[in-house]
Amino acid sequence: MKWNQRLHKFNLRHYDFWIFLCVMMLLAIGLVMIFSSSAPSSVRGKDGDAYSVFRNQLRNTAIGFAGMLVLSFVPYRLWSRLSPLILLGALALLGLVVAPGFADESVDVHRWLYIGSFGFQPSELAKFAMVCFLSASLAKRRERLKYFFKGFLPYFLLIVANVGLLMIEPHLSGSLIIVGVSSLILFTAGAKIRHFFFAGAPLVAGAVVLISVVEKYRYILDRVLAFQNPGLDPLGDDWQIVNSLYAIGSGGLFGRGIGRSMQKFLYIPEPYNDFIFSVMAEELGFIGVASVLILFGVLIWRGFKVSIMAGDLFGSLFALGITSLIAIQALFNIAVVTRTVPVTGVSLPFFSYGGTSMIMFLGEIGILLNISKSAHVDTVLPVNELRAAEITHIGRLRKFVQNDD
Amino acid sequence: MTENRRKGGVRGGDKAVPRRWNHMNKKEKIIEKTDLAIKGRLLFLMVLFLLAVTGLGARLAYLQLVEGGELSAKAASAQNKSVDISPRRGAILDRNGEELAINTAVETVTIDPVGLRRSIAKTSGQSVGLVAENLAGLLGLDADAVQKKIEKESRYEALKKKAERETGEAVRAYAKAAGLGGIDLVEDSKRYYKNNNLAAHVIGMTGDDNQGLSGIEYMMEKYIKGTPGMIKGELDASRAEVPLSDEERVAVQDGQNVVLTIDTTIQFYATQALEKAIADNDVQNGGAAIIMDPRNGDILALVSKPDFNLNDPYASPPGYISETWNGRSQEGADILNRTVWRNKAIMDTYEPGSTFKAITTAAGLDEGVITLESQFRCEPVTGYGPDPIRCWTRVGHGVQDLTHAVYNSCNPAFMRIAQKVSLDRFYQYARNFGFYDKTGILLPGEVKGIFHTTPKEIDMLVASFGQRFTITPIQLITAYAAIANGGNLLKPRLVKELTDANGSVLTRFDTEVVRKVISKDTSDKLRAILEGVVEEGTGRNAYVGGFRVAGKTGTSQTTDADRYIASFCAFAPADNPVVCVLIMLDNPLGDSHMGGAVAAPVAQKLLEDVLTYMEVERLYNERDLKEQMQQVLIPNLKGKTVEEAVKALQDLGFEYKLQSGIADVSRVVAVQMPLADTRVSAKSVVALYADADAERMMVKVPDFNNKTTFEAAETAKRAGLNVRATGSGVAKGQGSEAGAEVEAGSVVDVVFRYTDNIE
Repeated sequence: MKWNQRLHKFNLRHYDFWIFLCVMMLLAIGLVMIFSSSAPSSVRGKDGDAYSVFRNQLRNTAIGFAGMLVLSFVPYRLWSRLSPLILLGALALLGLVVAPGFADESVDVHRWLYIGSFGFQPSELAKFAMVCFLSASLAKRRERLKYFFKGFLPYFLLIVANVGLLMIEPHLSGSLIIVGVSSLILFTAGAKIRHFFFAGAPLVAGAVVLISVVEKYRYILDRVLAFQNPGLDPLGDDWQIVNSLYAIGSGGLFGRGIGRSMQKFLYIPEPYNDFIFSVMAEELGFIGVASVLILFGVLIWRGFKVSIMAGDLFGSLFALGITSLIAIQALFNIAVVTRTVPVTGVSLPFFSYGGTSMIMFLGEIGILLNISKSAHVDTVLPVNELRAAEITHIGRLRKFVQNDD
Repeated sequence: MTENRRKGGVRGGDKAVPRRWNHMNKKEKIIEKTDLAIKGRLLFLMVLFLLAVTGLGARLAYLQLVEGGELSAKAASAQNKSVDISPRRGAILDRNGEELAINTAVETVTIDPVGLRRSIAKTSGQSVGLVAENLAGLLGLDADAVQKKIEKESRYEALKKKAERETGEAVRAYAKAAGLGGIDLVEDSKRYYKNNNLAAHVIGMTGDDNQGLSGIEYMMEKYIKGTPGMIKGELDASRAEVPLSDEERVAVQDGQNVVLTIDTTIQFYATQALEKAIADNDVQNGGAAIIMDPRNGDILALVSKPDFNLNDPYASPPGYISETWNGRSQEGADILNRTVWRNKAIMDTYEPGSTFKAITTAAGLDEGVITLESQFRCEPVTGYGPDPIRCWTRVGHGVQDLTHAVYNSCNPAFMRIAQKVSLDRFYQYARNFGFYDKTGILLPGEVKGIFHTTPKEIDMLVASFGQRFTITPIQLITAYAAIANGGNLLKPRLVKELTDANGSVLTRFDTEVVRKVISKDTSDKLRAILEGVVEEGTGRNAYVGGFRVAGKTGTSQTTDADRYIASFCAFAPADNPVVCVLIMLDNPLGDSHMGGAVAAPVAQKLLEDVLTYMEVERLYNERDLKEQMQQVLIPNLKGKTVEEAVKALQDLGFEYKLQSGIADVSRVVAVQMPLADTRVSAKSVVALYADADAERMMVKVPDFNNKTTFEAAETAKRAGLNVRATGSGVAKGQGSEAGAEVEAGSVVDVVFRYTDNIE
């Protein structure tokens, strides 16, 4: 196709406008909340600059936004071909983070890679890599999922490998998210429920043993215990959670007003990070956080719509993966700060401070938008074995038939 | 038409599907079947996610709308604290601006238990118990109590209030060395009294919250304290104020400085004098000394003994074992209140005894019923009660005029005066002189004595010489001040003014004249009479050459057998009094319990110090000059030949002692004893040595006890010594003990006191 033909094909209306709108609104609220929640601790920082965290976040959002726009133009099938490479890269980087001699031995937790002063979390890449690879691979080989050893187990072992590397860091929330998203993709692609049990049971049993025996993972048990017995461990996690609940409760229906959170004043540790939702609940009230929940809800709905209507199975699974990646993290985060589940350090997509995740999420939204373009066709068509160009053609043909006879 | 075409089109479409389409449809069906399974699972997941969103929405609604009130109340209790900004407590200054009570910076050690425990958990080799022990050791606290605080579920616990700076530094250093967080030091202030015990009863002590508990600290609390400022606003977790919060601010208003009329130097002299008197005379129950300026009622010094250290007011009083002592207990406080905390100058009531005779005389003179020439016979007064009322001395005073009756402190004379004044008028004077009222001095706990309410004649007769009623020292000195200043009873003034931090005067406390009690004329006469009492009467031991001291001694019985109160009330100079002094000694068990023997010498030393300090011109009369003549200065003989030196000494009337074995009188004097310019009594002995390292000639100190000045000088000369005399009368003490070996020519201090006719 010539470039002018391509241009002719391009139509903004083919993109899922709802997704774009939701993300823009979430970003807007997110930036306001980042500033509001980070200012008190930023002021106390080295330079006394209230804007330091906000400025970084703004920069990362801008980079992410640009990435989103670019990726929304990149045909998503490209990722299918790139997926093995990305997965290998992600696993290599994960290995590098915890590699002896490379990791900083003075700290207990290794999650970052630094290129100059630019920090980067390979776990964020790993999540995407898994989504990407599983979607691509399953789109081609989903028939095999009928078989346990030939089909299910290799994927399962891949997940275990990822989790293994992540737990050396250790990074519990990252592991849980990868397990969750991968399982959803496997499930959707047609994996048998009993296979999950066959493979999952020994894994869970092993994990329980590991958690209770290895000193490094003791904190996981502690957190669960703290969740079950409020007040048992007021040292760390409980303090955060109690103050998070104070913040949420203080918000009431209409909130204290933007910038008026009290709990962000050192009561909640790093209020611009995992607990930014609590600060938002305090400042914007139930009205505010319900709106944010609705925005996430709409995003999930549209994401699944894209998945259901995607042009092919890869697009379908890829869209599912991306949507669940965002949905799981958002819901997990809100569940943690409302003390619905035990404390785990999950950040809130589009809100929490963090360059890697912001850029990754926006990039993923860009891909989702590109997939949505393939699903804009009003009529649902069986698509998985057709090329995208043909789909478009058929769609047009049908319209043409209907309209012009 | 269009409709038909469309219908037809659609229908036709179905029929006219090309082969290729049919094929497509067939394949489509197969795929669709499998796809439906995927779509089903996707729909299922979507519903699951949306349910989760709804569930979390419900959870949020519950937290914010149902539990919101409770949670926000809890949050508010953590966030909203009104912070009081403590005002600076005003200083207490003496009349010259010298600081008596000030604030010093101390530190309150607080911990953030949660943060501290977290920090302990992170730091290897630390445990809560170990940290508690170390902190307790540094702060002088109980380790268990500290551990309990560290284990508390809170973010703020005060460990120790008002720790000294050094302690704070030690805690800071420890926290840093051990790498512990969650230990904070907050600046605080503590009252500090520069002079410890000095003027303790006047200044008063403060409690743990810097609140005044006694003395001026208590009485002037509302001025000293200031008004606390307040920030009612929101705090962050580190207890700092949140920016931009809705806050109410009340500006802090610092306390005012209180400028006392007390003069630190005079207070020091008075304390020293009283302490010495108590030690010398084996005084059992302490005493009081008050110095007042009769011109304006200023209290220049007010001492009560025993006293206490304002910086450590709960310490064990003398006579209590410090190990088992607990001043903070009720029992301990009771004891402290009875002993060291008691301000005898305003709380003790006692019979004034003869000091009251000045009042009786004033009444008589002022009523015009007696004159200076009135004659009084010293004979017991009979007809009132079973026994005749006698004079204090069995020897009797014979017939005397008023002046000598006062000199002799002759009881019958005052009974006669009272009778002449008449019952009503006598008690009116007692009332006018303020014996029925509190003086109103700005100190807590002032009492008034018991004075007759419905007196009979016999009451008056006994009262005329100061018995069977009680007064307080402050009442008596106020009355004396009225006699001294021309007849105005003044309210004792203890606070001169209130100033702000810059020293500008905010409130001035002016002298208050309570009433005119006696005429100027009466005052003049009485001052002259009382001067005579010191010059040649019972108060001779208070005589200070050149300072014209006027006063009256007093010895009072108490309800306890063999417990006497010796007192002396005086003012000087007699013609224009600038100070009024009262010395009261409670239960002296030394050689004497008489006011003239025990209290007057204290007043003598004190008045000399105070009047010299106040730069009152010293005008010597003939008698003083004559006494001074007896005092000579040793000339400088060093450098002269022995011959010249001996000649010079002989010319001046000195005796001399030469280094043994000096044959050559032309040798130069190398050492002389006493040194040049030493003040000694005339007829002194000077030892001369030609060799600087010659062995000193040693002599034995004789016993001077009960020798007159003349006898003492002679005895000393015979022994090869010199006497430096203080006071007059007979020797009642000597600087070097009798029998001690001293260098020839040494000066021995000998104290002379009148022991006869001193009441």
